Amino acid sequence: MQSGLGVKAARVAIVVALFAIWEILSRTGIVNPRLLPSASDTLATLGDLLQRASVRKDLAVTATEVVTAFALAVPVGALIGFLIAENRYFAEVAKPLLFFAFSIPKSIFLPMFILVFGVGFSQKVGFGFFSTIFIVIMSTTTAVESVKVEHLTVARSYGATPMQTAFRVYLPSMLPVLLEALRISMIFNLTGVILAEMYASRDGIGHQIATWGENFQMKQLLAGVVMIAAIAIAFNELVRWVEARCSHWRT
Amino acid sequence: MQPLANIAPLKPAGAIEVRNVGQVFKTTTQDVVALDNVSLDVKPGRFVVLVGPSGCGKSTLLMMMAGLRQQTSGTITISGAPIPEPDPNRVGVVFQEASLFPWLTAEENVEFPLALRGISKNDRRARAQEALKLVGLDGFGKRHPHELSGGMKQRVSIARGLVQDPPVLLMDEPFAALDEQTRMTMGDELLRIWAATGKTVVFVTHSLTEAVYLADEVIVMSPRPGRIVDHLQVPLPRPRTYEMLSGDAFGSLRDRIWRHIRKSA
Repeated sequence: MQSGLGVKAARVAIVVALFAIWEILSRTGIVNPRLLPSASDTLATLGDLLQRASVRKDLAVTATEVVTAFALAVPVGALIGFLIAENRYFAEVAKPLLFFAFSIPKSIFLPMFILVFGVGFSQKVGFGFFSTIFIVIMSTTTAVESVKVEHLTVARSYGATPMQTAFRVYLPSMLPVLLEALRISMIFNLTGVILAEMYASRDGIGHQIATWGENFQMKQLLAGVVMIAAIAIAFNELVRWVEARCSHWRT
Repeated sequence: MQPLANIAPLKPAGAIEVRNVGQVFKTTTQDVVALDNVSLDVKPGRFVVLVGPSGCGKSTLLMMMAGLRQQTSGTITISGAPIPEPDPNRVGVVFQEASLFPWLTAEENVEFPLALRGISKNDRRARAQEALKLVGLDGFGKRHPHELSGGMKQRVSIARGLVQDPPVLLMDEPFAALDEQTRMTMGDELLRIWAATGKTVVFVTHSLTEAVYLADEVIVMSPRPGRIVDHLQVPLPRPRTYEMLSGDAFGSLRDRIWRHIRKSA
């Protein structure tokens, strides 16, 4: 997706305008500044927070949980998805069930995770894993289905071994869909881990944000929101950038 | 000096022999006879076209010659030996459009069969260049398929089919998705390539005009069950020209095929 300079400028203008409106609403008192601290104060607070050792430690805790949950959910989910999609019988049996599971809001299972794992690392990673794996399974089945029969026939007609077919046909065919899956899975994963932290945890940035909210520390709360948003957007954009480079593979 | 091992094979390279071939698809309710007792001889270097309505088994027969499918009964030999699985040294296959890998460049697509056999990068590149030159795509090797026109993509497919220099080239409706002008041009190009390489070509198509224009021999098939109903020699001189299309000889051959097809359609 190529967008012109004008479009990019308009995007920046919208973001700047949002921050400006935020600043004005707070500064003029249209919205009570105790409920909505100004944008400049929030950003200044964000700068302070990032200096604090405790906040950095919380960020490190959350990052570890997110990475662990992601590193477990993606390969396990991809393997299950691949096995399901490769077998027509399994696919037929499992697909509607997966859709059922996917449609249930995962948050309602959080109390059970706390009962099973207690409050701590494994509860948060477990819940992050649980929040992520269904979308990974479903995306992988879609990715396998995106492999064209014609391409498999070509590989066979030139005598490709199963290994050559896997690496030279399946993998590159699936890559664009897999990258998109990776991006969306991370959104689910991040949501899962942070929710688990906010609900019951002793550390992590989600726990911090919940505490700031309960204590009515609006500046810190908003700074935390901006921080998480920036991290999530950065990851998303990174994967999208890679995706854009192989978008023509889909044709 | 001829080495002793070089005993002449029973059939020269490029000969295709189809003997009493049958294909039955078993479904839960009934057995469908896709091919019924089909026999056919293709001499080396001939251009043979299989034509017939959908479901007559012409593509199935082609896939069997390629070793991509096994017949229920009968035998098929290519260059004198049966073909239980695909053998790119004996047979190159050109498919309908969209068979190129979109993530590879034109030359990488052409190199694909060589890469599977672990041939070195330099050798691969050299042979791919040669094949691309042969199909008139010199200088287009670095483009991806989405940067090529429909006709150019099929030229790349043909180059891929020829890159291992097999004596037989099997083509499954390769120009079906092209517009009429491109299709005519590609037909002429294919005849040029065929004349330059001397391959045995078996070509499947729906188009009667294309069949008569390209072929030395046209095999007409009918469906349910798939059978050969006619085997025509096309006596038109080569090179074929556009003017022949409106001639009497061309017209009567096309009519003869059409009468078979109308009966079975």
